[in-house]
Amino acid sequence: MSPGLFIQLIVNALTIGSIYILMVLGLDIILRGTKILNFAHGQLYMLGAYVLLLFFQTLNLNFALALILSGATLALVGALSYLGVFAVLSRRFTVSTTFSYRLLLSAMASVGLMMILQQGTLLCFGTQERGILSPFPQIIDVFGVRISLTRVVIIFLSILICIGLFFLMYKTRFGKIMRAVSYDPEAVTLQGINTFWIFVSCFALGSALAGLAGGIIAPLFSVTPSMGQNIIFMSFLVLLVGGIGSYRGTIAGGLLVGLLLSFGFQFLGGIAELFVFILVIVILVFRPGGLLGEATE
Amino acid sequence: MKLLNSSTVSRNSRLKLGAIIVALAVLIILPLCIESDYIKHLLIMVCIGTILGMTFSMLYSAGLITLGAAAFYAVGAYTSTMLVTSLGLSFWAALPLTIIISAVLSLGFGAIFVRNAGVAFVIITLIFVQVIVIAAGQIEFLGGWGGIMNIPRPDSLGPVEFVSKRDCYYLILAILLLIVVIYNAIYSSRIGRAWRAIKLSPNLAGTLGINAYRYRLLAFVIGSTTAALAGCFYAHYFQNITPGAFAGWLSIYVQLYAVLGGLEFYILGPAIGSVIMTFVPEYLRVVKEIEPIITGLLLLIIILFFPGGILGTIKNPPDFNLTQLKSRLNRMRISKAQGDKS
Repeated sequence: MSPGLFIQLIVNALTIGSIYILMVLGLDIILRGTKILNFAHGQLYMLGAYVLLLFFQTLNLNFALALILSGATLALVGALSYLGVFAVLSRRFTVSTTFSYRLLLSAMASVGLMMILQQGTLLCFGTQERGILSPFPQIIDVFGVRISLTRVVIIFLSILICIGLFFLMYKTRFGKIMRAVSYDPEAVTLQGINTFWIFVSCFALGSALAGLAGGIIAPLFSVTPSMGQNIIFMSFLVLLVGGIGSYRGTIAGGLLVGLLLSFGFQFLGGIAELFVFILVIVILVFRPGGLLGEATE
Repeated sequence: MKLLNSSTVSRNSRLKLGAIIVALAVLIILPLCIESDYIKHLLIMVCIGTILGMTFSMLYSAGLITLGAAAFYAVGAYTSTMLVTSLGLSFWAALPLTIIISAVLSLGFGAIFVRNAGVAFVIITLIFVQVIVIAAGQIEFLGGWGGIMNIPRPDSLGPVEFVSKRDCYYLILAILLLIVVIYNAIYSSRIGRAWRAIKLSPNLAGTLGINAYRYRLLAFVIGSTTAALAGCFYAHYFQNITPGAFAGWLSIYVQLYAVLGGLEFYILGPAIGSVIMTFVPEYLRVVKEIEPIITGLLLLIIILFFPGGILGTIKNPPDFNLTQLKSRLNRMRISKAQGDKS
């Protein structure tokens, strides 16, 4: 293997990995904050790409501005869907509601949401693939290796978003409340904090991350209505590898799966996915809670 | 006997017995009254859907939520197909072998999966379906993405040849009824009670000497083996299998059957959900474009407003809290009057 190919594969791995990390951080924030396994996350990702397409291609806005707007729009979509669906649902739950019942009903509600969003987008935008002209078409030359600038920008933006997220979660009061809610909502309520709006903002933040992930990837891949269904399985896989409820685990899992897929597709072809799955099962044998998480009852 | 006759329990059980006999009669006579082969095909799919829904309910009764009903359905279909086409066994020899093979496989995988209950188990089972589908698609020996064609129908059993849809329907109905009887026995046995205890609280069940892991593993193995049995029938009925048939959201539809019919009704719930979810989309074909939107909305409405499912709503009609509303209005009126006074 030539060093040039190696570097290119590493860059590819980082690109896919960073998208998975953004997706899974969103999934994890929603799952821990509101106890919803969000199946509509892939559709939020797809909507993010379409919103970027709308702002960047149709309205000719600046790429950065379009990206921020697509994140903000998706936060709004997330908040509205939480208020419209999950808030109504969670009013039904009491202290004695079993965990499995709560999980099942909220997951099924998100499946309903998924169907509506998926088919709604299909009706609005049609089934054809759309491409976004990359705002960074240049190719840079690093030690004789040709790397597309778009990929570098994707990695850079993802790192920036992750840093912003960690600042929000660990350095602000709001982040502290969110982390507290994911441990024990009742205790937070007893501190005089209105947990309802924290739930809403957890869901909105998770949706915004999905939207940003979709917006970032749009210049690289074509935008299709089926892009959400394809990524959701891999995102769940990364969530499982990294361990639920561990941000460091999510990042490690995203990078690991990105590397495995990138090198696997190069050397093994389509069967690479199968090897990734098998590896995950092996990891789960030795670490039932994922790489850095803990097994839950 | 006299004593029992006078009690209401006996009247209830006699009513139940009557209902069961009537339902059985309808199920047996139904294909004789229907001309269309297409409707008969739908009836067969309803039976398969009911079996899959019942496996979901069985795991749910032990507090596990599976999205992997399709995984062992596919395993059963592929195992039986390979046994019949490659080894040249007859369907009736392949059937018990399929059951044994999938029971062993589900014990092996279940031992890993069941260690995580809760969210991780949901995700693992969902991913496991993808693993099976990709494995079937990538391995040439299993027919690749094109699948396997021309799987023979079940061999004739005496005078009965399983050529017409009617005979296939009776075969799957017999399988379904057998499973219902077995499941019913399990639910009312010690095992079923242990599952219910684990679902309420695994820790509490543990203090009572119930090994939650082993009982959940048992539920996983029984459920998976049943799904494999349904898959075995499906392969030989449909006569061709492709990995795509098991992919994607089939497992989620299975879950929908159970939620729609009523989660607390482990046998009747999936049956009713399966009937509705098979026939309603067929008649929504006219508006094919917005069919998923209607299905999604239907799902949301049921979950948000009738969480007991159809049977649960019939059993305990929702109380729209009229009295509460009235008292709240009264209180508002009183406080307003007090405000006026001061």
